[in-house]
Amino acid sequence: MTALRIPLILGGLFLVAASPPQSAMTGRWRAVLDIAGGQLPFELAVTAQSGGLVASICNGPKCADQAAVTVSGGRVLFDIADYAATITAERRGDSLIGVYQNVGRNGPRSIPFRARRGAWPRTGAPAAILGSWDAWYVTDQRRSPRVLHFTRGEEGLEGAITSNTGDLGMFWGGGTPDSFSVARFDGVSVYLLAGRLTGDTLRGVFHAGLRTQTPFVAVRTTGAPHLTAPTALTSADTSAPFRFSFPDLDGRLVSQTDSRLAGKVVLVDIFGSWCVTCHEATPDLLDLYRDYKARGFEILGLGYEVTGDSTKDNPQIRRFRDKFSIPWILLHAGASVVEETAASLPQLRGFTAYPTTLFLGRDGKIREVYAGFRGPATGAQHTRQIEDYRRIIEKLLVEKP
Amino acid sequence: MTSAARGGSIGAALLFFGAMLSSPAGAQNKAAVERERIAFAEWLGSSPVSPWRALVVLPIGAGVTLGPRDADIPLPGIAPTRLTERDGRVFLRTSAGELGLSRGRVQTVEGWRLIVSGPQGRTAVTVYGAAPVRQHKKAIYYPYNPGSSHIVTLRPAAELRIQRLLGPDGVEVEATDAGTVEVSLGTTTTSLRVMRLPGATEDESELEIYFRDGTSGKTTYPAGRFVSLIPRADGGFLLDFNRARNPFCAYNTVYPCPAPWRGNSLSAPVRAGERYAVGGLTVPVP
Repeated sequence: MTALRIPLILGGLFLVAASPPQSAMTGRWRAVLDIAGGQLPFELAVTAQSGGLVASICNGPKCADQAAVTVSGGRVLFDIADYAATITAERRGDSLIGVYQNVGRNGPRSIPFRARRGAWPRTGAPAAILGSWDAWYVTDQRRSPRVLHFTRGEEGLEGAITSNTGDLGMFWGGGTPDSFSVARFDGVSVYLLAGRLTGDTLRGVFHAGLRTQTPFVAVRTTGAPHLTAPTALTSADTSAPFRFSFPDLDGRLVSQTDSRLAGKVVLVDIFGSWCVTCHEATPDLLDLYRDYKARGFEILGLGYEVTGDSTKDNPQIRRFRDKFSIPWILLHAGASVVEETAASLPQLRGFTAYPTTLFLGRDGKIREVYAGFRGPATGAQHTRQIEDYRRIIEKLLVEKP
Repeated sequence: MTSAARGGSIGAALLFFGAMLSSPAGAQNKAAVERERIAFAEWLGSSPVSPWRALVVLPIGAGVTLGPRDADIPLPGIAPTRLTERDGRVFLRTSAGELGLSRGRVQTVEGWRLIVSGPQGRTAVTVYGAAPVRQHKKAIYYPYNPGSSHIVTLRPAAELRIQRLLGPDGVEVEATDAGTVEVSLGTTTTSLRVMRLPGATEDESELEIYFRDGTSGKTTYPAGRFVSLIPRADGGFLLDFNRARNPFCAYNTVYPCPAPWRGNSLSAPVRAGERYAVGGLTVPVP
């Protein structure tokens, strides 16, 4: 691994407060997760709401996923129900020390957590890093392509990492003139990307979870395609109408013959409430729904959830629905394992990503398939994808059934 | 820790927001180990799919039956049910119809929980009951031993080598040879094979060492113990035997036990990490 020598900019911010009188929890807290080899910064914005205390999880200017906050004596619980995760911490004055937890395959995943009242200082966005980079992740002699995209945001450096199947949402951080560090924690994603510019080459490490580190090397985007196009990953049988039959959240089976879909242009959103990119995509789908519904456009959400057991999964889908006030049909289609999703949708070939978006013509046949989603953090890629969606919908709307 | 941390490194790039709490690294590590042990004990005791609640792990092969007394897996309260695998998919067939099951996900059937896992063609089903099995074993540990944390360097494998092996949970996974590390105990230096096993999410993986040592079969689990490499900011790794843990077969004999990895044997005893009460008897810790 390449050694980088970057001076510490700030130090000693976390001194445990000596006097313990406990003020209200409300306000901004700057927090870190102590992952192996680094610290992942984020913020918690705690507000009092009618139902009690609620914390938004913030990466710089972007605050989204919410946690219910329970204070019991000196113990504070952040319940991140969207992702079945928790942060538990002991409060000492204006400091919190504890642990973030969710459950992985072989038991609980625990990552040390610390926070202190106040916001993180904002640092500049290094000019030399801004723009797009074609990157390769390298693990055990295997290479995997990514596009890194950095922009100067209102509160520092913003970044996006796009793979063949979409991006991981907005990363936030800062840097020195020739180095950077951007992070994302949203309750379930635990990601940190750090690197340094040497000559024309950006080198560094992508951290995922408690202790996965993947070295990368990147050069300026040349314009030649570095990733596989989202329309080239998954293909579909377009000869017959799209067939499906899955229960809605009340257990009633819904199929392609449903009257709400007949003769309409339908966007099929293959999603999971656990899928961060799906959360990122939903506001755009709401815009499309608002703009085109009156002209004969409908959206159908096929939810693939963590357990496959509807008694457990449906509450998660309802939470997802309520978070965005989703007005379209949501079905519980199965469990979120790529091969099982693929098997439940036999008209697709090469299913690989959540979300995957299908566009059905008024005749019910699949006309376009987009694997993955380039979220707002990817800048132009995001704009282009939404423009593509609008172009497809407009084209299909004017076709005769 | 056995060697001092080296200064400035890629990790420093991560410390944009400063070194936030100064306390001795050893004390922090001990506290973290203790927290991990508590979380794991809670999970063992309370998770509906804890190894303690597993009743059977059985390869599906040409098909297995569940339900009546003469079924492959007798489960009171379940009508005759058959699990089969076709073209990599697993189906649960009852008189009411056929249901596709997802690998690695929990399926509840009349109060029993099933998980199918493993690669296509070699899928196994694990059935969990509502309560821990009578012969479950608790996780017990040696006291934290600061001398059992080693800072090691990973020597990457020379070529890409993929191998199917059993993970800690007895499920067959596709692992990649990540290389070797050298660890010195007493006067002996041993090279240990490190494999990269799939992690909790697509972007995550674990660098695992499955090893035997002088305590194996005496005070620790006979087949060996797993320990993960923890990356450090300086590019090295922490090999902390205080975090050595048993495969699931140690908690419940229904799990298949991973075979020891060839060569990963330390002659010296590693009196740190998880212990094992052999044969159900309590063996005093020397």
